[in-house]
Amino acid sequence: MFYRLSGTYHTSYESDRRLWKVPADRWLVAVILVLAVLAPFLVSPLYLGSYVLPWVIWSAAALSLTLLMGMAGQLHFGFAAVMAIGAYASIHLVRAGVPFELALLLSGLIAAVIGAVFGGAALRVKGLYLVMATLAMQYLVDWVVVNVPAISGGAHATLRTPAVTFLFLPLDSLASRYWLALGWAAVLTVFFMNVKRSSFGRALVAIRDKDFAAAVIGVDPFRTKLVAFFTSSFMGGVSGAILAFCFYRAVTPEQFGFNVSIQLVAMVLVGGLGSVIGAYLGAGFVLLAPIFLTNIISGLAASGWVPVSQNFLSHLPLMIYGAMIIGFLLLEPLGLAKIYDNIRKYFLVWPFRHARS
Amino acid sequence: MTFLRKLALTTALVAGLSAPVAAEDIKFGLLQDFTAVYTFVTGQYNQGQQDYLALANAEGTLGEGNTVTAIVRDTGNQPQRGIEAYNRAKEEGAVLFDFLSTPVSAAILDQAQADKNVVITPAHGRGDASDGTVFPYVFPMMATYWAQAANLIEHMKNTGGLQGKKIAIVHIDSPFGREPGPILEALSKQEGFEFQAFPYASPGNEQSAAWSEVRRYRPDYVLIWGAGGGQAVSVKTAIQNGIAPEQIHSVIWLAETDAANVGPQMKGVKRFEATAAGADHPIIQRIQEKVIDTGKGSGEAANVGTSYYNLGVATMAVAVEAARLGLEGGQPLTGETLKAGFEKIAGYDAEGLMPPVTITAEDHQGGGAGRVSEWDGEKWVPVSDWHAAYPDLIRQVIEKSAADYKAGH
Repeated sequence: MFYRLSGTYHTSYESDRRLWKVPADRWLVAVILVLAVLAPFLVSPLYLGSYVLPWVIWSAAALSLTLLMGMAGQLHFGFAAVMAIGAYASIHLVRAGVPFELALLLSGLIAAVIGAVFGGAALRVKGLYLVMATLAMQYLVDWVVVNVPAISGGAHATLRTPAVTFLFLPLDSLASRYWLALGWAAVLTVFFMNVKRSSFGRALVAIRDKDFAAAVIGVDPFRTKLVAFFTSSFMGGVSGAILAFCFYRAVTPEQFGFNVSIQLVAMVLVGGLGSVIGAYLGAGFVLLAPIFLTNIISGLAASGWVPVSQNFLSHLPLMIYGAMIIGFLLLEPLGLAKIYDNIRKYFLVWPFRHARS
Repeated sequence: MTFLRKLALTTALVAGLSAPVAAEDIKFGLLQDFTAVYTFVTGQYNQGQQDYLALANAEGTLGEGNTVTAIVRDTGNQPQRGIEAYNRAKEEGAVLFDFLSTPVSAAILDQAQADKNVVITPAHGRGDASDGTVFPYVFPMMATYWAQAANLIEHMKNTGGLQGKKIAIVHIDSPFGREPGPILEALSKQEGFEFQAFPYASPGNEQSAAWSEVRRYRPDYVLIWGAGGGQAVSVKTAIQNGIAPEQIHSVIWLAETDAANVGPQMKGVKRFEATAAGADHPIIQRIQEKVIDTGKGSGEAANVGTSYYNLGVATMAVAVEAARLGLEGGQPLTGETLKAGFEKIAGYDAEGLMPPVTITAEDHQGGGAGRVSEWDGEKWVPVSDWHAAYPDLIRQVIEKSAADYKAGH
């Protein structure tokens, strides 16, 4: 098959150090990257602006949360609040005259500091108690955003993003905004793949698996978890700023509510904990599946195939969506990334049965 | 050759002269939330909208064979899905959009303005969108929340006076719940009453803590500002805390379903209404006759004439009237000509279903009139006339807020 790897093992450090060890994977990544860069020329503005762009941004957000949830095993049900901090901070910084490139970094830093403060307080507890603590962060940030006009402009206000440039290129066209978002997602992807094989990444995984055992072998659980909160919040804050400037082009308090946090957790879980490709697949599934299903069912209804009331017609895609989630989880509890992995492994040694992981 | 050319020319000329003006299928995007937060209203509201469009098509309201088709999609109250639905409907040629969702409307606002597509926000959405000079393509076209609050306060003034009185506003703790704040602030200074806000947590299934506070405050009037299941809980809990039903005044979101959920003790509760309820209106009767009875209705026949159904009918009646006026400038109907059509609407009342609205380039709210009705145990009975309350004060608040938006907020 196209992987052509049966019986081939890595015999040099150079080949073992590669991000993608199998040539077919490298080709696949290169093709996807080229297609992604050329997307503005390949798909219509409808698909670029409504599907590809939000998918890329939410994948970046899901990757940020994956570092914390998937790698460090720390549950976070207030990640939308982290993104909100980044979004509001970036708008205020740009309005204050800070260049957009710097504003992105600073907004990430502000989100990271606030996220780490909450994280530090929350890390005294574990599991469901940590969920409660992060939920408190969500509600606290929500409350502040709604009640402090200096931040949000008021409960019902919409803060519009000013016109900005990124590295001297104006971000006014859809394509330019998409490329910036794609660039950020690519940076996070490469960062994440490298973290996984760094000492920090291995410390995170050790903590996830058993934190007191990790402490025995010399990993400081509190410090490592705190750094994970900081890093993840930084990436989440910048993703929030990218979401505000590249997709919504405006920020309102309701864009970062509790339901968004739940969606992010769903993206990470459905995609597959701790997986890079899982973040992309999970974000794509949670974000786009309801839209595709709604359009398909509405199309069928318009052709007279589904003669039911409008109300039922609207619930039907969600019922199918829910059934799909349960189906996926029954089929492969480790998420969509594992389904991809199973398929890949099957073809890795095809026509034989078993592959080495 | 010459003969053939002549024949071709003559045929083309005859065909050109005899061809009728091409009928147009105008598309309205009704991209609403059927599955998440606003489900308490969307089903009946959208049913009223679709049934009215069916009536307008059956009666040829737009003339020359023109019809209106509704593009209906569920957005789940999510901005992403709303943006996708908007972009798709835009590609399909929609010129008017109704999202019935504050987050989605907020996410679309700038894009729709840039695309020159009309967005209607009847009885919901931003109050300051009434300023047509700042929001040229947004049409609240009915009383906004600010006008609703003013109308209720004026009713209190007319029935029991306001000087030295205490008003409790019990609201859901969300941006929507805080909406009447600026108006109450301004009116309390003008009319000499005091008010205090008592928020309760969303979604409002449990409000006993807030109402215990209200009881201690001993208000003369109570304003409840919520939506969905929380409204029935508000009324029930208020009565349990010794507040008389006659003291309770609600925002527009209190309908027959809520009355049924509260039960007999609901009698005497008042609410704001932007359109009349009941089936005893010419348009609703014609819908019954030409749409429902002929099997073309879009939902359960039992909903016809309910408050939210009639609200949906009124929104489309105004929109179709705007389209009719817009088409006077020639076909096809674009967002720009539809906007011009809206701004030509003068004294339109949907055959008595709603107060007369006059929309101008400056005032997209159409005057902001409404009335107060009371639940008599079986139905909503009007207890005031259609009118706009404190229009000058409302306009000041609108212009100030619109100026803030223009400045980037």
